[in-house]
Amino acid sequence: MELKVHKAGEVYIIDVEGEMDLYNAYKLKELSISLLEKKASRFIINLQDVDYMDSSGIGALIFICSTMKKQNLKLALTNIHGSVKKVIELTKLTSYFPISASMDDALKLVQE
Amino acid sequence: MDSVKDIGLDGSSTLFDTKGLTFAEFPSDYQNIRYFALLIVQNAPPEFKELNLLEQQISELIKNAVKHGNKNDPSKKVRVWYGFDQDSARLIVRDEGEGFRRLEEWNSFNRKRLECLHEQNYEKLGDFVSFRTDCSDDTDGGNALFAALEYWNGGFCFDEARTGVAMKRTFR
Repeated sequence: MELKVHKAGEVYIIDVEGEMDLYNAYKLKELSISLLEKKASRFIINLQDVDYMDSSGIGALIFICSTMKKQNLKLALTNIHGSVKKVIELTKLTSYFPISASMDDALKLVQE
Repeated sequence: MDSVKDIGLDGSSTLFDTKGLTFAEFPSDYQNIRYFALLIVQNAPPEFKELNLLEQQISELIKNAVKHGNKNDPSKKVRVWYGFDQDSARLIVRDEGEGFRRLEEWNSFNRKRLECLHEQNYEKLGDFVSFRTDCSDDTDGGNALFAALEYWNGGFCFDEARTGVAMKRTFR
């Protein structure tokens, strides 16, 4: 799994590429924590290039989402598709996560 | 409200019938969990939809057996029976651990989670998105069994020793 961070204004966009699984999902948590330490407050996690996610990956998203909610920060997950979408549906977390259908929608959500 | 599904204990369930299933045995090797799952899934009919979702679900069960059942003890094995036909998949996984002693606690937790979803109480849901115990660590999402109970739509139960779990998925 590779993580790339870029900014759009005040928004930190994390592009995730590869498989988010038990061996590497912690990297996304660590990256998010490091961005929070830099006082970042608006995040988008772009899952366009993620074709596989297991419970550890879902767990990383839960950790990030709950941390952001507690701190009243802005987060959007976007471009979720395929089996990743199915796993989120199976865990019934579709309404818990702030999911946007597109990057444009995600930018609008975190800039509200 | 969605019908609440508990995970039951029924070693006499037909889900535990190994007749016609293929047997495989794996060491408790955490680094190869996904490889073991792939070895099983490669026997599934190629026309199965969402093979990587099937692989993911099988990987979760092997992970539970290796990590939570056998505590990564290399002297302990994970035994798997599996079978596929044109529209279903069956799996039985056994470990050599002490059994899933917290099953009742998990069922209670899951019921509360489903109540939150039914009430659309997403603030309270935050307390029930991840089932964690003193054995959980950072790589445990605490959500695998929620998905498993939905995915394995033909049944999902443990045996009375709680070291064996059997399940079926139908694709119709």
